[in-house]
Formats: sequence, C-alpha cells, structure tokens
Amino acid sequence: MIPTRTIQLDNISKSYGDTHALTSTNLIIHKGERVALIGPSGAGKSTLLSILSGAIQSDTGLYSLNNENILSLSTKQRAESVGIIRQQFDLVGPLKVVHNVLSGHLGRWGLIKSLLSLIHPFALNDAREALARVGIENKLFELTSNLSGGEQQRVALARLFVQHPKVVLADEPVASLDPARADQIIKLLVELTHEGEQTLVASLHSIELAKKYFSRIIGIKDGAICLDKPSVQLSEKDLQLLYRLEHPHV
Amino acid sequence: MFSNGPLTQQDKTRALNMSLSLLLILWGFSSVQWNSNLIHAGGAHTADQLIKALLHPALNKEILTRAFKAVGITLSYALTGMSLSLLFAFILGLIASGVLFENNRFKLLVKGTRHLLLFMRSIHELVWAWLFVAAFGLHPLSAILALAIPYGGTLGRIFSNMLQDVPKAPTNALSLVGASPLQKLFYVYLPYAIPNMVSYAMYRFECAVRASTVMSFVGLGGLGYEIQLSLNDLEYTEAFTYLYALILLILCIELWSNKLRLSPSLKLHKHWSIQRISIFGAALATALAWLYIHITEGVHLTDLFNEKNLKYTFKFLSGLLGVGDQTPAFLSWQAWHKALVLSLETLQMSILAILFAGLLALFFALPGSKYKMNQNSQGRRGKLNFLLYYLLRGVFIFSRAIPELVWAMMFVFLFKPGPLPGILALGVHNFGILGKLCAEVVENMDQAPLEALKTSGASAPQTLFYGILPLTLPKFITYILYRWEVIIRTSIIVGFVGAGGLGQAFKLSMSWFKYSEITLYLICYLVLIGGVDKFSNMLRKNI
Repeated sequence: MIPTRTIQLDNISKSYGDTHALTSTNLIIHKGERVALIGPSGAGKSTLLSILSGAIQSDTGLYSLNNENILSLSTKQRAESVGIIRQQFDLVGPLKVVHNVLSGHLGRWGLIKSLLSLIHPFALNDAREALARVGIENKLFELTSNLSGGEQQRVALARLFVQHPKVVLADEPVASLDPARADQIIKLLVELTHEGEQTLVASLHSIELAKKYFSRIIGIKDGAICLDKPSVQLSEKDLQLLYRLEHPHV
Repeated sequence: MFSNGPLTQQDKTRALNMSLSLLLILWGFSSVQWNSNLIHAGGAHTADQLIKALLHPALNKEILTRAFKAVGITLSYALTGMSLSLLFAFILGLIASGVLFENNRFKLLVKGTRHLLLFMRSIHELVWAWLFVAAFGLHPLSAILALAIPYGGTLGRIFSNMLQDVPKAPTNALSLVGASPLQKLFYVYLPYAIPNMVSYAMYRFECAVRASTVMSFVGLGGLGYEIQLSLNDLEYTEAFTYLYALILLILCIELWSNKLRLSPSLKLHKHWSIQRISIFGAALATALAWLYIHITEGVHLTDLFNEKNLKYTFKFLSGLLGVGDQTPAFLSWQAWHKALVLSLETLQMSILAILFAGLLALFFALPGSKYKMNQNSQGRRGKLNFLLYYLLRGVFIFSRAIPELVWAMMFVFLFKPGPLPGILALGVHNFGILGKLCAEVVENMDQAPLEALKTSGASAPQTLFYGILPLTLPKFITYILYRWEVIIRTSIIVGFVGAGGLGQAFKLSMSWFKYSEITLYLICYLVLIGGVDKFSNMLRKNI
C-alpha cells in the first residue's frame, strides 16, 4: 500500500524584510509519521510550523494538506485538518479549565452554543475524558491561571485532544518545563497522537527526547532543511554539523 | 536627569521643553492685574463668615433632612449616568478596539468610533449639561445624558485599551482551532478584560458622584444645587452642611474603593467577598436609582421626543448653526478676536492653576506620606510628623472633595470676578488630587536605592536629592501634566460663576440665547484642549 502524503511542501519560502526565515523548502510527511524538528535557535523551525498550521502564509510555493491546497480550505476545514500546541501561554487564564478544554470544539460550534456552554458546559464528558487522558481530571472546574506550568500544558494537550485534528503540530511544547516533566508531556503527546492515528510534527530543543520518541528527525539551519533521516541513524557528526557556529566571532 | 559631557539630542529636547514651559508660566502671570483691586470690598468680612461657617455648619433637623435627600438625588444621578455610560463605553469601546474585525473593510468604522469617543470626552459634563438643558429643558435625562456621554467617552477609551491589551497567544491559538471573532470575544477577550473593566468602573464612580454634584448646578436637584442656593442666599452655615455631606459621601466611596482595590477577595461574610458585594450592591443601587428617578421625576424616555421638545431642540440646534442670525458669531471677525483673547486667558488660567497646585503638592508630598512618618517615629519630632501627616491627608481630602466649581463660587465672594478666583479654585481642587497622588508615589517608591544611600552614610537632605527626588520627580511631573489636561477641560466650568475666561463668556451667551456664539466658543474650547493635550504629550515623552 502506498502511504498517504499528509503534508507536501513544494518550494516554500518565507522572509521577514531582509531576513530569509525559510528558503525554497520541499518536504513530504506521510500519514502517522512522528517527526521531530531540531536545529539551532532562529533556524526557521517556528516559521515552518507556523506555515504548516496555516497561521501564516508562505511567500512562494505550494502547501498541500491531505492533497488539498491549504489556501482553499475554510477555517473549519483547516481546524479539522491541523492543530498546534505551543508553550502554555496559549490558554485563557481567567477561564475555568473546562472551558479552555472545550474551546477545542469552537470550530464546530455556532456562536449561540459556545455562549451557552460558558454558562453550562456542553459536552462535559468530552472535557472529562480529555482531562482524564492527560491525568488531571480533578482540575476540571479550577481557574486555569491557578494551575502550574506543567498542568497548564496538559490542559493545552486536552484541548488538542478535543479538537482532534488529523495533523498535530507542536512548537517547543516543553521548553519551559524541567526535564522530568518535559519527558512526561512528550510521552503523552506521542501516545495520544499514536492512538488517534494522527500525524505528529514537533520542534524540540532536546535531542534526547527527539531520539527517544520520534521516528524521523529533520534538522533545520539558516532557513533550510539540512538533515532528514530516521532517528536511529542520527550520528554525533550530524549534530555537530547542525549546531556548529558558522561565525564563532559574532 | 542631568548628565555631564556632550549634549545628546534628548538633552537638547529637554532644555527646549524646559525653556518653553518657563516662558509659558511667565506669560501666564500676565493674565492677572496684580494690584490691590483684586480683593472684593467685603472680602475680608465674607472670609471671616465662611471660616465661622466652616467650624459651625447648620445642623438643625430641617437642613439635615434636606441634605440627606440631596445626597440621594446626587447618588441617583451618578448611578444612572454611570450605568448608561457603561453601556455606551462597552459598545463603542468594543468597536474602537477593533478586536471584532479581522479584515480592513471596517477600518473606517473603528477609526470613526475612536474619534467619536475622543469628542465625547473632550467636552466637560457641565458643558454637556448646559447644552442638553438648552435643548431639552430641565429634564432629569438631560443630567443623566450629560454625565453618560463624557464618562462613556473616557471609559470607552480605557475599555478599548483593555481589550487590545489582552494577550495575543491565546487569541491566535483559538484562531487556529477555528473560532470566529465573536467566539474569541467571549472565550478570550471578555474573560481577560471584564475584571479590569469592573474595577475601573468602580474607581470612576467616585468621580461620577462629584460630577453629578457639579451638574445639578444647571438647575437640576442635588447637593450642588443646594450648595448654590445657600451660597446665593448667603446662608454659609447651610452651605457647609451640604459640603460636609458631600465630603462624607466621597470619603465613604473612597474608603470602600480602596478596600476593593487592595484586597478584592477579602471575605466580609461566609460566601461574600468584598468584590462580590460591590458588584451586586452597585447593580442593586443602580436599579433603585433608575426607579427613584422614574417615580420622583416621572422620567419617560419618550418625553424627550415629544412635539414641544423636538421644536425646542430644533430651534436650539439651528441657533447653534447660526440659522436666522444676521451675522453668526463664527463668521464675524470681531467675535473671533474676542474668542481668541478669551481662549488665551483661559490657557493662562490653566497654567497658573497647575503651577499653584503642582508646587504646593510637591512641597507637601513628603510630609503627607507615610514614608516620613515611619522614618522619624520617635520623640517629639515623631509626634509632629504624625500630626502633620494626618493634618495634610485631611487637607488633601477636603480640597479635592469640593468640586472646583464650588470653590469658584466661594472665591468670587472673596475676590472680584475675573481670572484670579478661577485660578485659585482650579488650583486648590487639583492640589488635593495631586497631593494624594504624589504622596502615594513617595509611599510606593523603591526602597532599595534609599537603603543603599543610607548605608553609605548619606544625610537626610543628601538622601532627598540623590535618592527620593530622582526616584519620584518623573512620576510627579507626569501626574502634573496629566492634571493640566484635566484643568484645561474644567477651566470653562469655573468661568460659569464669573471666574474669567471662555466660561464666563459662554454663560453670558447662553443667558442671552446667542447660540452662534456658543458654537464659536465650543470650537475654541476643543482646539484649546487638543493643543494642550498635544503639548503635554510632547513634554511627557521627554521627561
């Protein structure tokens, strides 16, 4: 069976003023793959993920998501196809956890339904199940801003679980957590997406986590892909090349 | 603030600003003819009587009942006006913030709403009141609208800023989940902004009570009206009863809002935090106030639009536009010349008033703050500081609780009508406000640098010049400039009772139904306000 091309990038470029954040990038990711993006800070990982999520548009090139041009998708269709998780700042602090989790449904819900849900939550079971999956079921009615960083990241995961997009993107999801918690969250992310038969693309600082949980590793440097291989084949030399400073005197 | 070595661009700008300000101040002094002719013939005697009345306000049952009733009316107008202004502010602020519109098609609407808010808050509530009374007659809704419009303008801008300050990350996250702008409003913007909106509205309520007092001056009932009547009848002891009632009212609101600001979740009862009580209490009081005005004054919205009123309104509006006037004032060179002279006089008044208020406040900020008291708490010196602190705090409250208009009414008894009583009225009221603000700046200043200075052996005066002043002066100046912007708006008000400037002329034109002159003065007033705002902004950027 030929695996489905979930993500296909042809000649994608993006610049901000004079800075080339991403130059003529080509990339194919198949359904169910677990891809880790690694590389030095400012290499273009975030730009690539933002383009993949549809949050920004590329200057040139074509981005097909499940064989459809991303630009031709409606907001609702896009939300069903792709979702993203970042650091915990993505949550609405003054709302209760349940509403943050259920906001994963907003793309499907109409205005009236989403308003009524703020008074009396609809789909309470979805929220319960999602929170149970990430291990904080007891926090359902707490104020989100009262939760710790790790717990908030679990809430964001629960929202993604409710949204249930075909492609899950993660932009440095554990950058502000300690190593033990970071490992737990990534493990959870990988398990959840595996069970949901979702495709996962995550940018990570930790090579260790990338090798431990991901099947394919893509290295990005100066706005271009310079490494793309199965994680088992990743060598020390690859990493040295990727992270070496080109201009040590700067 | 001062640097040696080559002058930077900023140094030059500062030097230029400072010389400009000094020139303006010197020019301001020319507004008053400084001679013995300033004082009213019976001024000394009146002053004596006023001081006696200050110490012995009338306390008989009849006056107290009247005062109690007047407090009720003043509060009702404040609450109804405030509730309507919140409605205006919420709707207009939401549009002006632009958070609902993601494409550029609505750019013009957003911009237009911002300008509308600016216009609403540029005109002082008492001027609005005059205009509405001229258009609709002495109708309670004139007062309610006169309060609701400028307050709606101010609150609307603050609300729109609060909506814009909501963190971007959660908003973007929900966009990617597929949420519509309206869904984002309810799931992100409002949860973040509403607590801030509520606490800001509570804070503004104190100002609304003062404004409602002033507004009754145009002939609508309430504390201001009673004060005016007593002063006109030379019943000073009664006037002070009403004044004390006003001060007490303001003091209560201030104490409550301080508690609310500092510890909103303090529980007064098992389930009732101070915040919850305030919100429910305010809602209940507002409902009662509407009911009260509806019953006692028989307010019906439809009243405003009956045939007779429409005719008057039309007549007033066409009068403003100069219809039927042979030479409308705004087309006459002579009238423009007069208006220009008056505008300059108003500007001079505002400069002297802020100078007076600012210098006094700077001088008393330190002894008026807890800082000084805590420094020397032992011995006789400590007792003196203690006494001075409470005395000054009392003076601050007294001088700011009394609206500038009422101060002006009293000062025109002591001094001859003209700019001087206006300057003093504006100065005294703003001294109270600035004194409080500056004392709070001193209390909140960073202690670490001061401790460091003390450990290195600095004396008290050395600490003042090397620590306290550099730490606090920029904030003082910011507050002073901000109050100057408020003063230029109120300068027209004190003129209404004969204290000089544009206001005096405005009142005369109003009395003689020369409505096209009103238009001219309003134009000058708006230009003056715009100019002062611009200049003060420029100064503030380079502190």
